[in-house]
Amino acid sequence: MRILIVEDEPDLLRSLAQALREEGYAVDTANNGEDGLFNAEGYDYDAIVLDVMLPKMDGWEILKRLRKTKKTPVLMLTARDQSRDRVRGLDTGADDYVVKPFDLSELFARLRAIIRRSANKTTNVIEIGNVKIDTAARNVLLKEKPVELTAREYSLVEFLALHRGEVVTRTQLYEHLFDENESSLSNLLDVHVSNVRKKLGAEFITTRRGHGYCIE
Amino acid sequence: MIPKSIKWRLQIWYGLILVVVLAGFGLTAINLERERQMTWLMTNLEQRFAVVAGALHPRPPGGPRGRMPGELPPQDLRPEEFHLPPQFSTLFDSSDPHNFYFVVFRRGEAFAQSTNALIYHSPDEAPRQPHQFGIGRPLPSGEMVYVGCSTAPELRELESTAWKLAIAGVVILFFGLAGGWWFVSRALHPIENISAAAVKISAGDLSQRINVAEAESELGKLAAVLNSTFARLDAAFAQQKQFASDAAHELRTPVSVILTQTQTALNRERGAAEYRETVEACQRAAQRMRKLIHALLELARLDAGQEQMKRLRFDFSKTVADCVKLVKPLAEESGIKIFTELSPLEITGDSERLAQVATNLLTNAIQYNYPEGEVRIKLAEQGGLAILTVSDTGPGIPAEDLPHVFKRFYRGDKSRTGGNAGLGLAISKAIVEAHGGVIEVSSNKDGGTVFTVRLPVIS
Repeated sequence: MRILIVEDEPDLLRSLAQALREEGYAVDTANNGEDGLFNAEGYDYDAIVLDVMLPKMDGWEILKRLRKTKKTPVLMLTARDQSRDRVRGLDTGADDYVVKPFDLSELFARLRAIIRRSANKTTNVIEIGNVKIDTAARNVLLKEKPVELTAREYSLVEFLALHRGEVVTRTQLYEHLFDENESSLSNLLDVHVSNVRKKLGAEFITTRRGHGYCIE
Repeated sequence: MIPKSIKWRLQIWYGLILVVVLAGFGLTAINLERERQMTWLMTNLEQRFAVVAGALHPRPPGGPRGRMPGELPPQDLRPEEFHLPPQFSTLFDSSDPHNFYFVVFRRGEAFAQSTNALIYHSPDEAPRQPHQFGIGRPLPSGEMVYVGCSTAPELRELESTAWKLAIAGVVILFFGLAGGWWFVSRALHPIENISAAAVKISAGDLSQRINVAEAESELGKLAAVLNSTFARLDAAFAQQKQFASDAAHELRTPVSVILTQTQTALNRERGAAEYRETVEACQRAAQRMRKLIHALLELARLDAGQEQMKRLRFDFSKTVADCVKLVKPLAEESGIKIFTELSPLEITGDSERLAQVATNLLTNAIQYNYPEGEVRIKLAEQGGLAILTVSDTGPGIPAEDLPHVFKRFYRGDKSRTGGNAGLGLAISKAIVEAHGGVIEVSSNKDGGTVFTVRLPVIS
């Protein structure tokens, strides 16, 4: 999953980005409204964490413009907790609204929820054959027995599972699993796919030559 | 025991006055009646006196004098010779309720009297009887004639009149009190309305106002005063609420930083360097909160007038020069040049607080300026006022923001990453006004802002 965080308070931005990366997300950041909108319009993020009070363009404006072209799930972050602000946020097109100061685990849960909803999944658990993927707990069971996956491997499995039935291109996988912070060699992706097949079964991920991968 | 109710007090006073007035009229009426009675009695008594006196010395017919010159005065009559002329016999009749009677004394002894006369043994006895009235006079011939009557009929009449007056008075008093009560109630009714409305407003919605039907009357003015007080209270509460909510709002972001930083750091095992970074970020946030709290408390104290401004004479120009020195490093960071034009100027006031104002204006001028820009600070005296102007060559303040810059938490750019909470100018304004001065701002369309502070030299 690739997330964009738009927040102008540097300590907060850094901290959030680190926390999300450690959760297994690929994270892009922007510290003002213009850059944030530019990034958001240029790419299909899995979710955007958007602060309301931003220099150069505030969160409302960004959301309004973004919604003209993209349906990316947006979680608004703000210090305003009046009901009318929540209403405004939700009506303008935000998918959820979190008030500062927030509990980190609550933020994560809401993020997962809006991603899940946009993938039209209503439960946390995705079952594919003998494999059960719990997106809330971020673990995978094979025949009811827990399977050890690295963070990258889990992200790969989760992404393919949420797009089950679709062919996901290598480029998409690169963009959704890795961010600017790491150098991505194309081999790395194959290594991850291969490892997942070793752990969950060779048929788990299907290769479509020339197109990409998918879970059927 | 004086009752608390105005209505009752008014009623009692009014009642007392009414009673006094009615009693006065009543007594006057009675007195007039009595006088009239007396006059009537006197007339009758005088008439009868003349009759008796005439009967004692009957004049022979012929001429007013009745005596021929040379004739001797008549001899004293003997008692049995005395009689009233027949036409006057009814004058002293007991059939008349007044019971007019007469007694004649000659040489200290009763000589003649009417049949209905009361028995007197001496001339002095007569006047002392109750309910008797009369006139007693000596005649030139030495007899003492006393004509008296009973005043019983008069007294009865007077009594009857008095009763009639009393009853009339009571009835009038009753109607008067009733009328007064009704009138007072009507007059006080608006007060009750105003009072009820005021209670409702002050207990509930301060944005309501009392309906003022007659703006000019005393009650209208009272309602107007109450309304304006409510308006002030409403505004004060709103400002307080706004302040509290703004303050809480400002604290959210630093708290958020601390929370997210610490939660992230504690999510897994970290190295010392990472912990250090987290702790430093928390410290930065805590410092922000500390400055904010300090500024808020200062504002609150200035608001409540609790801050006693020191009143010492000092050279303001030296203070300002020190402030300029203080902010020089900050200016040099952006290559900004500060030009000073400070004339020595002694004023009375709090040098530390005024230094705060000068520093605040200087730092604003530096921060909201273009790199390599200029800041000019000038201090001069004019007309008993110390005038401090700070101008910069920055982008200026948009016209719609100008009236609001001194408001609390107001920042032109809505984000707050400058670490600046937007209280500096509000505090400066409060300090300047506590010294009895004014602070103003003006800005050009082409850029540049000028802040002007005017302080009385002697405060």
